[in-house]
Amino acid sequence: MKTGKKNYIVSIILGVFAIAFILPLLYALYTSFLKLSDIDKLVGIKNWTLESYLKFWKDPNYNIPRWFFNTVLMTGITIAGNVVINSMAGYALAKLNFPGKNLVFFIIVATMTIPYQIILIPVYVTMAKLGWLNTVASVTVPYLYQCIFVFMMKQFFSGIPNELLEAARIDGLTKVGVFFRIMLPLSKPGIISMIILNFTSTWNAYLVPSTMLNNKDSYVLIVGLNSVKDQFFDRTNVIMAGVVLITLPVVILFLIFQKQYIEGVATSGLKG
Amino acid sequence: MVSHETRLKRKAFRSANESDALVGLFFIFPFIALWFIWFFVPFLQSFIRSFQSANFIALDQAQFIGLDNYIKILQDKEFYQALLHSVTIVAISVPVITVLALLVAIAVNQNIVAKGVFRTIYVIPYITSPIAATTVFMVLFRKDQMLARFMTIFGFENTTWYSNVNLALLFVIILFIWWQLGFFIIIYLAGLQDIPAELYEAARVDGANAWHRFFNITVPSLKHVTFFVVTVTTIYSFQVYDQVAAISRYGVLGQPAGRTSTLITYFMQHGIRYMEIGYGSAAVVIFTLIILAITYIQKLLLAKEG
Repeated sequence: MKTGKKNYIVSIILGVFAIAFILPLLYALYTSFLKLSDIDKLVGIKNWTLESYLKFWKDPNYNIPRWFFNTVLMTGITIAGNVVINSMAGYALAKLNFPGKNLVFFIIVATMTIPYQIILIPVYVTMAKLGWLNTVASVTVPYLYQCIFVFMMKQFFSGIPNELLEAARIDGLTKVGVFFRIMLPLSKPGIISMIILNFTSTWNAYLVPSTMLNNKDSYVLIVGLNSVKDQFFDRTNVIMAGVVLITLPVVILFLIFQKQYIEGVATSGLKG
Repeated sequence: MVSHETRLKRKAFRSANESDALVGLFFIFPFIALWFIWFFVPFLQSFIRSFQSANFIALDQAQFIGLDNYIKILQDKEFYQALLHSVTIVAISVPVITVLALLVAIAVNQNIVAKGVFRTIYVIPYITSPIAATTVFMVLFRKDQMLARFMTIFGFENTTWYSNVNLALLFVIILFIWWQLGFFIIIYLAGLQDIPAELYEAARVDGANAWHRFFNITVPSLKHVTFFVVTVTTIYSFQVYDQVAAISRYGVLGQPAGRTSTLITYFMQHGIRYMEIGYGSAAVVIFTLIILAITYIQKLLLAKEG
């Protein structure tokens, strides 16, 4: 570890850049508390108001609570599916032998190479045929697994020594038991990384939800915000309140699980 | 002596081992089933549809028309405009992101005050939604607003960037870089941590200054990371969509006047909005082939390097 004098010049330059870097977000936060007449002015905290949030939340034209619910549902189902399916597959690839294992590895690598946009039109057609458009199924069912996470879980499970598994087997655990009693508890950091990465990308997703969800009641927050913003554009404080409402859950979770998030990006990024 | 009980357990263990295949298939099945239904089948459908005159309204009457869709696309001026915009995004974003991410990562990796705080701040844009971020930037890049005025320092006119035909694409690029940078800072920081400290110690003993250390140790040691960053930024830059969609909500994707159309908006416009399934599919296939070509070239270069 480096010791000695801190480099204050670099600190100051980085500090200035950092503030400039998140200035737009600070602007959004600040403006969301202003009255319409105070926008683009510097006003003290006693002139702040929650009016914009209440307006945004309660406006009967937009049904924001419903969008919020839809978003939570979409994100929750996607994460649940990814945790179960990716770790099951990761376990099979890391610790079990089965026919076609090499083919599965090939499938994972090939799928990661191909841009996912290629499936969008056929999936849209299928969803329409199934009558699933405008339902939460259309934005969750095809995305209950992710190859990059299967790979990540496989790496995690491979790191658990075989002796440990054999000892558990001798003690009478079945292979299924080993998965639940040994593999899952020991790979908690990996699973948390996967959850937080999956959460941010699903919560923020736009391309797929905006394609599949076309009526107001089925919107998720991001799609809703994009439709509201043009109508509300002159009411900057209200639209900024919307931005803050959407961004805050992700930022809070990121601040709590920063370490796992950054490790997840570094491993999935460099291995992928 | 091995006890009788242990021997029995070992025997049970061995016979359980023989059912490995069954247990393995059980654990891999959900993944493969979903992948088959929701990736492999639609993947094939995209190729098949690309040779058909298929419209969403009358999909049953789809007919094979050979390469007609591809020929039509390759004769479409708008396709080349979209391609040019995509290439422009790549040409600007890739060098800027690579250099900035490296410099910020190196700076954050120094012995500085509040290191963790800086790392957090630089990553935050990447976890925000591009739609939400674009909304904020749209407000700030309106005529007479903070950032529109700030940019006049660099000789840009004071105007509403996202509706200006000359500046809208640059607006999208700025947003994309701002949003994506944090991801690559994380990647570079991970790479920097893998450089052995002894290399720097030795260089310092030999009297190399910071400049020499940067060019003779840091840059060469990060060669593979940089290779990864350049490849991935190229692919991601080709996939920019949300920022463009946000600024062209009401009209045709790629507003104003098609000046921010990209390969993605081109196929979205035709395949989803106009519901020309066949034509749109052909456009996606072309897009996919471009991405695969980039990946392939990267593999070749990497193999050459050894």
